[in-house]
Amino acid sequence: MATVLSPKDFATATPSWWCAGCGDFGVLASLKQACADLALKPKDVAFISGIGCSGKISGYLHSYAFHGVHGRALPTATAVKLANTDLTVIVAGGDGDGYAIGAGHFLHAVRRNPNMTYIVMDNQTYGLTKGQSSPTSALGFKAGPHPDGNPDAPINGLAIALAAGGTFVARGFSSEPKAMTEMIKEAVRHPGFAVVEVISPCVTFNKVNTYKWFKENVYHVGEAGDYDVHDRNKAFSTLAEPGKIPLGIFYRELRPTLEALTLGTAHEPINSLPIETVDPRLPALQDAYA
Amino acid sequence: MIINDIEVLFGGQAGDGSLTTGDLIATVFKRMGLELYTFKDFPSRIRGGHTNYVIRAGEHRHYGLADFVDAMVAFDVECVQKHITEMRPGGFVIFDNSSDVLTEALRRPDVFFYEIPLAKIAKEELGLELVRNTISLGVLAALIGMDPEIVRKLVTAQYARKGDKVVSQNVAAIEAGERCVRECFTRESGYGLRARPDGDRLLMMGNDAIGYGSLVAGCRFMAGYPITPATDILEWMAKHAPAYGGIVVQAEDELAAINMVIGASYAGVRAMTATSGPGQALMTEAVGLAGVVETPIVVIECARAGPSTGMPTKTEQSNLNHIIFSGHGEIPKVVLAPETVEDSFYLTVDAFNLADRYQLPVFVLTEQALCQSKESVARLDLSAVKVDRGKLVRDGGVVFGEYKRFSFSQDGVSARVIPGVEGGMHLAAGSEHSEAGVITEDARNRERMMEKRMHKLEAMRAELPKPRVIGDPSASISFIAFGSNRGPISEAQDRLAARGIATRLLQLRTLWPFPEEEVRDFVSTASQVFVVENNYSGQLERLIRYVTGPLERMHSVRKYSGRPFRPIEIIDAVERIVRPSQTAMQAWAPQVAVR
Repeated sequence: MATVLSPKDFATATPSWWCAGCGDFGVLASLKQACADLALKPKDVAFISGIGCSGKISGYLHSYAFHGVHGRALPTATAVKLANTDLTVIVAGGDGDGYAIGAGHFLHAVRRNPNMTYIVMDNQTYGLTKGQSSPTSALGFKAGPHPDGNPDAPINGLAIALAAGGTFVARGFSSEPKAMTEMIKEAVRHPGFAVVEVISPCVTFNKVNTYKWFKENVYHVGEAGDYDVHDRNKAFSTLAEPGKIPLGIFYRELRPTLEALTLGTAHEPINSLPIETVDPRLPALQDAYA
Repeated sequence: MIINDIEVLFGGQAGDGSLTTGDLIATVFKRMGLELYTFKDFPSRIRGGHTNYVIRAGEHRHYGLADFVDAMVAFDVECVQKHITEMRPGGFVIFDNSSDVLTEALRRPDVFFYEIPLAKIAKEELGLELVRNTISLGVLAALIGMDPEIVRKLVTAQYARKGDKVVSQNVAAIEAGERCVRECFTRESGYGLRARPDGDRLLMMGNDAIGYGSLVAGCRFMAGYPITPATDILEWMAKHAPAYGGIVVQAEDELAAINMVIGASYAGVRAMTATSGPGQALMTEAVGLAGVVETPIVVIECARAGPSTGMPTKTEQSNLNHIIFSGHGEIPKVVLAPETVEDSFYLTVDAFNLADRYQLPVFVLTEQALCQSKESVARLDLSAVKVDRGKLVRDGGVVFGEYKRFSFSQDGVSARVIPGVEGGMHLAAGSEHSEAGVITEDARNRERMMEKRMHKLEAMRAELPKPRVIGDPSASISFIAFGSNRGPISEAQDRLAARGIATRLLQLRTLWPFPEEEVRDFVSTASQVFVVENNYSGQLERLIRYVTGPLERMHSVRKYSGRPFRPIEIIDAVERIVRPSQTAMQAWAPQVAVR
């Protein structure tokens, strides 16, 4: 019996704590639509989030949601996937969560290539702590700890993902819900680690990089002709080029996943192994010490 | 002649095979039916630097080092320099004089030196300098009467995978060593071994027992970051867990490792990590998360000498406070401390059951002198092992809207669903939350949630591993300790008894929640209490004082050199207080601190 799902099937009763107009609403809407379109069951979705405004998103998606420690969502999620490969694992967090405090885990999740989706909700600031500079804030961004302007150059998270061996690298924009929904669906379908960075403007603390500013400063790859998503060099140069901000799927490739390399094939999820009775082979393991 | 009681110190430079040969000697002793304790004393480097392997073998189990070394096998003069003062009067040294020369100052008149050019014989007679260690084994075997057949059998097995030529070179090396003793020396060593039936015993290291215990308890996920002296467990699990469907992940750091363990456990797998002080410091961040999302995890802490890098390969009990008190905010946690290799196995199994039953982090606190030491142990009994997963819900029967993941309950424990169970969807948040999991800062809810979680510590009291009383239960002179100190203390107790001082030991196996009642009762009937521990500040003694208040009859016996106690140090500490006029201590031997 096929039931047509709607975004409402993935809604929770919890009211949102976000500011009116926050880009994160768009991310949540697209995520719910993508889950519905993919006919996922809420019980089979593990949704793990970081800390910050973006991290609150796990409270708003009807699923098995986990809201852990700042910057550590990826290791938690990686293990959830390894423990039960039947689950669809989605991770969401902000630019500070993923590119600052969790930067190490980001690199290693990319290189491990577990089959899951990582949505980096980039608002170029630490919103929840009231507007400090983040790893993606522009040079000169004026903020609490940087009254004379941010002295640290912004980092390019997607180029870093490519360099670390990323197999799916994309960027969306929260005010383009349809394109973002399709992008998230592609990411979830991708058999590997999919990084989706989403421009999610902060309407309270970033008066420079506003919706209007972004609309004038983004473009879609492929607009000006063919774009080969399997050309890694092209992806690098597209992401590294100064000027307008590219949107779209920049790169994808197939590479064995962490689960495939760790668990092998034809494997029951390890969370359903029968451990309640002691395996009859275990006593003999002591023979090696006799 | 001293029969069946010997401590051998086998020492040279790291990377020259001393540890391998030490293991071989230990196995020979074990096959000869002797009881064993081994201690590895090695530097934190791969090649070079003094390293030694101490093997204690005897009729009785001692769980620790003796007062003195009986036999030293020294491949260089540095080994003699470092350890000559530890030699028992009447003991002997096998010294490789191929290139190093013994100065007169190093010779003790009460210690005999068998000076043999081991490396030279290896090179010139056998054509392979590497077999120097095996020649020394032959020398030792001949001097103390190791069973030649067992020696040959084990050497053959040891080198079998390297081919027939290497095997025959090593067998020839044993013979060269034996011949050397026959032809060059008439003096007997003063020591002799007599084989007894080996019986169905194991020679097992503490870390092996922990790995094995984890697997038996159903642990099928481990994440860890390499760190001495805990790495053995990571490697043990990597070697054995896959055959049982389990996996091991080498994480990018300890932050990742513990968050992976939380993730795997949240998804329903019994999961653990193993680390040491510096890694524990990083893991502290996520321990609070496990407590507040009520996810069971097991953390093995193999303590070493800190702070910072400290002495990574040396033993210490200075992490006690850190384990018990670490973490911001308040969560319930359990800290268990095994006393022997077999206890390491049984307490590891207990740790997994307690974690699942009470949905909280459980630590197993061990230390280098126990986790990297081998002991001869009776075969481990798996028939008593029960896997108890507590209130785990994996098969449904949960109605969305009714089910509350963090519902208030009598024992503070709520039914725990795992992802994939229909109807159980909820948010598990490190933020304070309602029974249903919704984030809230409501004052009354906060109080009730704190009470729910912390109440687990009371609810579990009866299930926690009990302290053990060792020695004469009616004695009034008393020890309190945890971990490997059980070894030197219980030996000191036997010898104090022989000197007319009856004692008893309260060996704590649960350190948190602190066994207040047992400690209070024990101390109330003691005339003198000696709290023995390997740290500078007397961390256990302070915990006891929280319970008892300050007591004049309580003495803190502390050693913080990075080395385990020897029994004589404990005997001396007791006699200094109990009968200061008649101490047994040798004037030249170092005293430990008693405050």
